[in-house]
Amino acid sequence: MIAFFDAMKPLEAMEMLLALCLTVAALVCLFDRHLLRACCFFVAFAAAMTLAWWRLEAPWLAAAELVLGVVLTGACFFYALGHVSPGVSSPLERDRFSEPWSRVAMRVALALAWFVMVGAAIRYVIADMAYSPSEHPLLLAGVVIAASALGAFALHRHLLRRLLAFNILGSGVFMLLAGVAGTSAAAQALISVGLLVAWLGTMLGALLIRQLLHLEGVEALGPDGKPKEGAK
Amino acid sequence: MNAAWLPMTALATSLLVVVIIFALPEDARRLRTTINLAAAVVKIVLVALMVRRVAAGHEDIFSFQVVGGVDFVLRSDALGVMFAGLSSLLWLCTTVYAIGYLEGSANRKRFFGFFSLCVASTIGIALADNLFTFLVFYEMLTLSTYPLVVHKGTQQALNAGRVYLRYTLTAGVVLLLGAVLLYSLTGDQSFSSEEGLGDYLNDHRGLLTLIFALLVGGLAVKAAMVPLHGWLPRAMVAPAPVSALLHAVAVVKAGAFGILRVVYDLFGIELSVELGVITALAVAASITIIYGSLRAIAQEELKPRLAFSTISQVSYVILGIGLFGPFGTVGALAHLLHQGLMKVTLFFCAGNYAEELGIHRIDEMDGAGKRMPLTSIAFTIGAFGMIGLPPVAGFITKWYLGVGAIQAEMYWVVAVLVASSTLNAMYFLPIVHLLWFRSGPAHGKGSWPKEQRLGRFETHSWLLLPMMFTALVSLGAGLFAGLPFSPLDWAARVANGEYLP
Amino acid sequence: MIWRFGLFESTFEPLASTHWALLAALGLPLLLGMLAALFPPKRAWPVALASLPVLASGWMLLSAYDQAGLLRWQWEIAGVHLSLRLNGLSVLLLLMTQVIGVAAALYTPGYLRLSETGPLARWLWPLMGVVLSALSLIWLATDLLTLYAGLELMGLAAVGMLMLSGKVPALVAGMRYLLLALVGSLTYLLGVALILGHWGRLDLQGLADVVEPGPVAWFAAALIGAGLALKAALFPLHAWLTPVHENAWTPVSALHAALVIKASLFILLQLWSILLPETFYAPRVIAWLGLLAIVWGGLLAWRTDSLKTLVASSTVAQLGYLMVAFPLLLGPDIAPLPRALAWEGFWLQLMGHAFAKAAMFMAAGNLILATGESTLKGLAGTSRRLPLSLLVFGIASITLMGLPPSAGFTAKWMLLQAMIITQQWWAVAALLTGTLLTAAYVFRMFRYSFDETAPRHRYQPLAPGMDLIALTLALIAFALGLLAHFPLELMHGGSP
Repeated sequence: MIAFFDAMKPLEAMEMLLALCLTVAALVCLFDRHLLRACCFFVAFAAAMTLAWWRLEAPWLAAAELVLGVVLTGACFFYALGHVSPGVSSPLERDRFSEPWSRVAMRVALALAWFVMVGAAIRYVIADMAYSPSEHPLLLAGVVIAASALGAFALHRHLLRRLLAFNILGSGVFMLLAGVAGTSAAAQALISVGLLVAWLGTMLGALLIRQLLHLEGVEALGPDGKPKEGAK
Repeated sequence: MNAAWLPMTALATSLLVVVIIFALPEDARRLRTTINLAAAVVKIVLVALMVRRVAAGHEDIFSFQVVGGVDFVLRSDALGVMFAGLSSLLWLCTTVYAIGYLEGSANRKRFFGFFSLCVASTIGIALADNLFTFLVFYEMLTLSTYPLVVHKGTQQALNAGRVYLRYTLTAGVVLLLGAVLLYSLTGDQSFSSEEGLGDYLNDHRGLLTLIFALLVGGLAVKAAMVPLHGWLPRAMVAPAPVSALLHAVAVVKAGAFGILRVVYDLFGIELSVELGVITALAVAASITIIYGSLRAIAQEELKPRLAFSTISQVSYVILGIGLFGPFGTVGALAHLLHQGLMKVTLFFCAGNYAEELGIHRIDEMDGAGKRMPLTSIAFTIGAFGMIGLPPVAGFITKWYLGVGAIQAEMYWVVAVLVASSTLNAMYFLPIVHLLWFRSGPAHGKGSWPKEQRLGRFETHSWLLLPMMFTALVSLGAGLFAGLPFSPLDWAARVANGEYLP
Repeated sequence: MIWRFGLFESTFEPLASTHWALLAALGLPLLLGMLAALFPPKRAWPVALASLPVLASGWMLLSAYDQAGLLRWQWEIAGVHLSLRLNGLSVLLLLMTQVIGVAAALYTPGYLRLSETGPLARWLWPLMGVVLSALSLIWLATDLLTLYAGLELMGLAAVGMLMLSGKVPALVAGMRYLLLALVGSLTYLLGVALILGHWGRLDLQGLADVVEPGPVAWFAAALIGAGLALKAALFPLHAWLTPVHENAWTPVSALHAALVIKASLFILLQLWSILLPETFYAPRVIAWLGLLAIVWGGLLAWRTDSLKTLVASSTVAQLGYLMVAFPLLLGPDIAPLPRALAWEGFWLQLMGHAFAKAAMFMAAGNLILATGESTLKGLAGTSRRLPLSLLVFGIASITLMGLPPSAGFTAKWMLLQAMIITQQWWAVAALLTGTLLTAAYVFRMFRYSFDETAPRHRYQPLAPGMDLIALTLALIAFALGLLAHFPLELMHGGSP
C-alpha cells in the first residue's frame, strides 16, 4: 500500500487525470444514445489519447493520433452523421435499442469471455510489461476501455455505434500494446499501422453508412439491417 | 523394346475425340460422325497392335510420377488388352448404332462427347497398372456415365441418375479408402509384380481381409452384385445405346474387371484363397445369379428383364474367380467377353423393337419375327447364348465353369449353374416363342404400339448392321473357339499367366 | 516444420534482376490498378497486355529460386526490421495469386460490360490491384509488422471490392464483414503485442529460435488464431461469408474465395508452427472444428436454393479439409513421412481449391448473367443452351469433390494416407463424408440443369472468352492432380 502511495507522485497526478478523462470520454462515447454527442466525445477521446501518447514518450505516435485519430477519423464520423455540409439536418440522431434480453445477455457473456482471456494473458505476462498497470494508470484505463468497448461492440447493433466501439476498442488495444511492449520503434510502427488501418476502416464504414442511408433510410442501420417490426 | 507410345496413344485418341467433339458446334453432324467412326477404327487398329505385341511377349509401359510414392502407369498386359479389345470393338458397334438411334434428337454433341469419354475411361481401366491409375479411370467412368443416364432429361431419368450416383459415388469412397489403406500398408503395388501381397499375410491378416472387403465391396456396386444392384434396373431409362454400353462393356464390366484385377493381380489367387475370401465371393456370386434370374422372370417389360439378366450373368465372371483353378478362370475371362457380345446384341434388338414398332412390353411382341426377321434372329442367337445352348458363345463359358467347379470339388456350384440355366431358359424362351410362333400384327391381328418405317430394310440400316455384326461374332466366338486369338484362346493365355509361373 | 516455411539463412544473395522482379511482383498490380482506374479498360486485350509484366516477374522469381534456392531480403527503416523471403512455397503461392488475379482481371471487362454495374465500376481496378499486391506481400513477408500491414491492406481492399455492387444486402453484409475483420485484426494485434512484449522481436526467424512453449505463447497463439480464423471464415466464424458473396460481383467473389481467405490461413499456420510447434490440443481443436465445418458447410450448400450461396458455402466445407489436416502439421510425435504427406497434401488442396473455386464462381456468374436467374431452379435446361459454362462448373466441382484426376483427389489421397498412417480414423471419416456431401450438393445443381422439361428462357449472350478464362482455371485445377509432382517438387527444394 505504501509503495502504491509512493508511486502517486505529483507528477503522476496528471496521468491520473488523463486516464480518468480517457475512461469517461470512452464510456460516454460508447453508451450515450445521442449519436452526435457520442461522436463529439469520440473526438475528445482521441485528443486525450494524443496527450497520453505524449505522456508515454511517443511523440510520433502522438502526431499520428492527432492527424489520423482526431482529424481524419473524427471527420469520417461527422460525415457519416451527415454533419459535414452545414444547414442539412441529419436523419441520424439517436439509436434505438430493443433487443431481447436473452440476446443481450449472450453477447455480454461473449464479451466477458474475451475479456477474461485478455485479462489472463496480461496477468501472465505482467512481469514483462514495460509499464505495469499499478504504476501507470493510463494502462489501467486502457484495460477498462478495451473491455467496455468490446462489450459495447457486442451489445450494439446500430452500425455507427459499432464503428465507434471498434475505434475505441482499437485505442484500448494500442494502449495495451504500448503497455506490454513499451514504446520501442517496432511497437510504434505497429501502432501507427493500426491507426492507419482504423482510419481506413472507419472511412470505408462511413461511406457505407451514407450509402445505406441514401438507399434505405434510417431503418437500414438497425439490427442486422432488417427493418424492425412495429418501429414506426 | 518398350513402345510406351502405344498404350498412351490408345488412351489419347479417345480423349482427343472427346475434346474435338465438345469443341465442334452442335450442328456439325457429318464431321462429328466421321471423327467418331475414324477414331473408333483407329482405336481398334491400336488395340490390335497391342494384342500382337502382347502375343509376342512384349509389355509396353507408359508411366510418370504423380507424387512421391504414387505413379501413373499404363501397361498393356494380356488381361488388360483383352478388356481393351472388347471395349474398342463394341465401341465401334455402339457408335454406329447410336448415330442411327439418335438421328434427329437433341443434345447429340453432349451425348457423343460423354460417350467417348466413357469409352476412354474403359480403355484407361483396362490398361491401368496400379490401383491409383485404375481408380482415376474408374471414377472418370462414373462421372462420364451420369450425363448419359440422365440424357433424356425427364423426371424419371433424373431420378435414375440420382440413384446411380448414390450407389457409385458411395462405392467410389469405399474403394478410395481401401486403396489408400493398401498404399499405406504396402506402397505402390504394380498389378504386374510377381510377389503379390503374400509377405504381409502373417502380420496383417485382418487388415488385408478388410482391404479386400473394401476393394471388392466398392467394385461390386458397379458389377451390380446383390444387394448392391439397385441402380442398374433403374438406369434402364437411358437411351438404348447407353444401356447397351453400360451393360455390355463399360460400367458393369468395369466392376467385374476390377474384381478380376484385385483377385488375380493385386492379392494373387493363392493369397485370396489363404484369406478365405474366395469362397465368400463364390457364394455371393451364386446368390446374385439366382436372384437376378428370379427377378428377371417377374419383369413384364423387355429392357428391365434384360437388366436383371445382366445382374445374373455378370456374376458368372465372379463365380469363375471363386472356383480356384484354371478352368474356372478361363470360364470367367471368356465370359467377360462372351457376355458383352451377347448382351450388346440383345440390347440392340430391344432398341430396334422399340424404335421401329414401339414395343416396350414383352406381351406386345407377338409375331414380331415376321415383321423384323433379322432382328428376331439376332435376338434368338443372343437368348440362346445366354441360356448356354451350343453353339453360341455362352455355352463355352458355362461348360468351362462347370468343369472348373467339378475340378475344384465345389458341386453346389454345378447345381447353381444348372438352376440358373433353367431359369434363363424360363425367361428367354417365352420371348423367342412369342417372336416366332404367335400370330400378331404382322399377321393382320391388331396393330403395333407405334410403328415407324425407318429404312429400306426392316429398320434403319445403321441400327441393323451393328446388331447383325455382334450377333454373328457371338455365334462365331462359340463356333470357332478353338482358333488362335478367339476369346477362349486369349482367356486361356491369361489364365496360364496366372497359374503357371 | 519451421524450415518448410523457409525461415533459415540463405546461401545466396539475390541478384539485381531479382530485386527488380520482386519490386515488380509487389508493386505492379497496385500501379496497374491505379492506371486502370484512370483509364478503365473496355476490352480484355489491354488487360492481357498489362498483365504480361506481372506474370513475367513471377516467372523470374521462380527461375531465381530455381537457381539459388532460398532468397532473403532485409531492411532496417527507423529502427524497425523488415524482411522478406522467397522459398518454394511462397513462389508457388505467388504464381497462383498472379494467375488467378490475371484471370479475374481478364474476366472483368466483359463482366462489367454485360451487367449494369453503375459508376462505381472503375474503383474495382485499384482495389483489385491492392488485393493482389498485398497478397504477394503476405506470401513473402517474414516479420509480424509486414504481415500485419499486408493483412490489413488486403482485408480493407477486399471489403471495398465486395461492396462495390452497391445493393443494400451487399452493403449490410459488407459492413458486418468490415467490422468483424477490423475486430479480428485487433485481436491479432493483441497477440502480436504479447509476442513483442515477451520476446522483444517481430521477425519470424528470430522468434522461431527464441520462442519456448508456455502461457505467453499459448495466449499469443490463441489471440492470433482467433483473429485470423475470423478473417479466414474458419468454422464457426464463417457466418459472414455467404451473405457477402451473395451480392458481390463475380470476379470479386472469385478473387476473395480463391485467395483472400487463404492468406489468413497461411499466416495462421505459419505463426502457429512457430508458437505452438509441439502442442497437442490446439491443432486438434481446429481439426474437430474442421470436421464440423465439412458437415455444416456441406449441409448449408445442400439445402440452399441460390447458386452463389451454394458455391460460397462449399468454401466453408472445403476449408474444413484444410483444418482437419492441422494435427498432422503441428503437434508432437508425428513421423516424418505422414508429416511430409500432409504438408504436400495441404498445399495441393489449397491450390486446387483456389483454382477450382475461382473457376466455379466465374462459371456460376456466367450462368447467372446469361439466364438472369440466381436460383438453382432457374437453371433448368441450361445444359442445352450453356453447355460450356456448365462444363466448367462440372470440371471445377470434380476438384471440389476430390474425384480423380483432379488436384482435389491427389491432395485427398495424400491427406488420407497421412491420416491412416497416424491412425486418425475420425479425420478419414471426415474427408470421406465430405466427398459424399460435396457430390450431393453439386449434383443437385446438375440435376436442375439437365431438366429438359422446363420452359425455355431467353438467354443473354456472354462476352467472348468469359467461359474460356473460367475453363482455363478449372483445367489448371484439374491438371494439378496428375502433374502434382512438379509444383510439389518446388516445395521440397531449399531444405537447410
